[in-house]
Amino acid sequence: MDFRAGDSWGMLACLCAVLWHLPAVPAHNRTGDPGPGPSIQKTYDLTRYLEHQLRSLAGTYLNYLGPPFNEPDFNPPRLGAETLPRATVNLEVWRSLNDRLRLTQNYEAYSHLLCYLRGLNRQAATAELRRSLAHFCTSLQGLLGSIAGVMAALGYPLPQPLPGTEPTWTPGPAHSDFLQKMDDFWLLKELQTWLWRSAKDFNRLKKKMQPPAAAVTLHLEAHGF
Amino acid sequence: MAAPVPWACCAVLAAAAAVVYAQRHSPQETPHVQYERLGSDVTLPCGTANWDAAVTWRVNGTDLAPDLLNGSQLVLRGLELGHSGLYACFHRDSWHLRHQVLLNVGLPPREPVLSCRSNTYPKGFYCSWHLPTPTYIPNTFNVTVLHGSKIMVCEKDPALKNRCHIRYMHLFSTVKYKVSISVSNALGHNATAITFDEFTIVKPDPPENVVARPVPSNPRRLEVTWQTPSTWPDPESFPLKFFLRYRPLILDQWQHVELSDGTAHTITDAYAGKEYIIQVAAKDNEIGTWSDWSVAAHATPWTEEPRHLTTEAQAPETTASTTSSLAPPPTTKICDPGELGSGGGPSAPFFISVLVTLALAAAAGSLLI
Repeated sequence: MDFRAGDSWGMLACLCAVLWHLPAVPAHNRTGDPGPGPSIQKTYDLTRYLEHQLRSLAGTYLNYLGPPFNEPDFNPPRLGAETLPRATVNLEVWRSLNDRLRLTQNYEAYSHLLCYLRGLNRQAATAELRRSLAHFCTSLQGLLGSIAGVMAALGYPLPQPLPGTEPTWTPGPAHSDFLQKMDDFWLLKELQTWLWRSAKDFNRLKKKMQPPAAAVTLHLEAHGF
Repeated sequence: MAAPVPWACCAVLAAAAAVVYAQRHSPQETPHVQYERLGSDVTLPCGTANWDAAVTWRVNGTDLAPDLLNGSQLVLRGLELGHSGLYACFHRDSWHLRHQVLLNVGLPPREPVLSCRSNTYPKGFYCSWHLPTPTYIPNTFNVTVLHGSKIMVCEKDPALKNRCHIRYMHLFSTVKYKVSISVSNALGHNATAITFDEFTIVKPDPPENVVARPVPSNPRRLEVTWQTPSTWPDPESFPLKFFLRYRPLILDQWQHVELSDGTAHTITDAYAGKEYIIQVAAKDNEIGTWSDWSVAAHATPWTEEPRHLTTEAQAPETTASTTSSLAPPPTTKICDPGELGSGGGPSAPFFISVLVTLALAAAAGSLLI
């Protein structure tokens, strides 16, 4: 890693390295353990909450980036942003993932994405954007903790980064303003897609862990006679 | 063996002569097919005949008036759909057929309407198209599907000719799909394209086999059951949530219930004795849009057997027995709108009997004092 004095990318790399090594605290108390079911449900609920939060955050941020990024038909080729964790996966491969791998992929993806998001926050121009981004980062940290909790409950070790594979943002030699915005665009897109994927991942885990759940209805049965 | 050779030679020469004669004296066997635009003017020459040749034109076997002719050419102005047909021109004197034209009047295609939908997520999606206005002549469609820069195959539907199917190779893609369609016919060409994300086109088919049944001894309940649409391939990993709506036939306002799991629900606030219409819709838990409403189920809640009208003397007995079940008025009684307002509340005879009871009690009390 090349840390030039005052280099914002270098500081970012340092920051990410620090965050990566922070131990994630398991989400729940293990005594009287009800099993991983409730924490899987909680993690699922968190992905839904985050996805909802991201919708308004992304809308605001893309408007801040300006056209063409905030146009609904904007369909650029996927260039650059190669280090972003990609949610896309072959259908059969996704189906046949074992629980440990499924959880690990989610954990690693969000660790990277959180790191990049924090980088985004440092450059954001308006105070309101920084506030929204900071709030989102906190929620995302909560999701990471929740996933770590599920992994701990199931006895899976948390993925430790190998030396040299720490998520660092290494921009190209002449990273123009436009290319930077493209990176931001893909970050938000990938984050949204991961949240949809996680919902499906945790759905699958939920079904495997729990006995067939009784039908849950929102309309109160207490209205009966 | 020298004898067959000269015979064969003669046969070939005769056949050749016959062909040449036929070609010089008859038109081509199949009529010339011609497409012309609605509203335009067209001049049909009589094959290779001279302009001043004496000919008669017929359309579908009916003679055409000579005032349409310009020499030996047929002139049609302001083409209408009715002008389509088989036009033939004949030598006026010998009635020898000189030329045939199969005229088709139509329009060039307007921009097609294209839409795509995934009712089989995550297996794949389909796209279907149509023209907003007819062209009246044959059209050919060509569909291309691009995922980023990768071309995907759109397999034609075996039954519907304006639909094709694409299989997902990868899920959770951030790259959009672009579906383009071009349509062309003899008079013109048009095209359109749509771009979308994998998640936005997910829309399941409506739930199937929606059945509503009354619940015995429960005059305000209806039990509704349904099945997940059979086209949804994996309800285990991609669960559906449901939206149920119901109303009595006589009212316009729907009641709604959203259900996050299960394929059954009991309605507990039905108006006693009223026929209900019930529908269910489905949606993937996280992505896409709601399905269309299912086929409607009809049901009426359970009602007691109709009783004879009670007299006022018997009122106290009936009050005791009607507190736990809300019996509807006998069928001969006209429906009281006041009942509906209170949600199938106590029926009129019950009120009257309560008032009578109170009156009797007050009278008895005043007598005792």
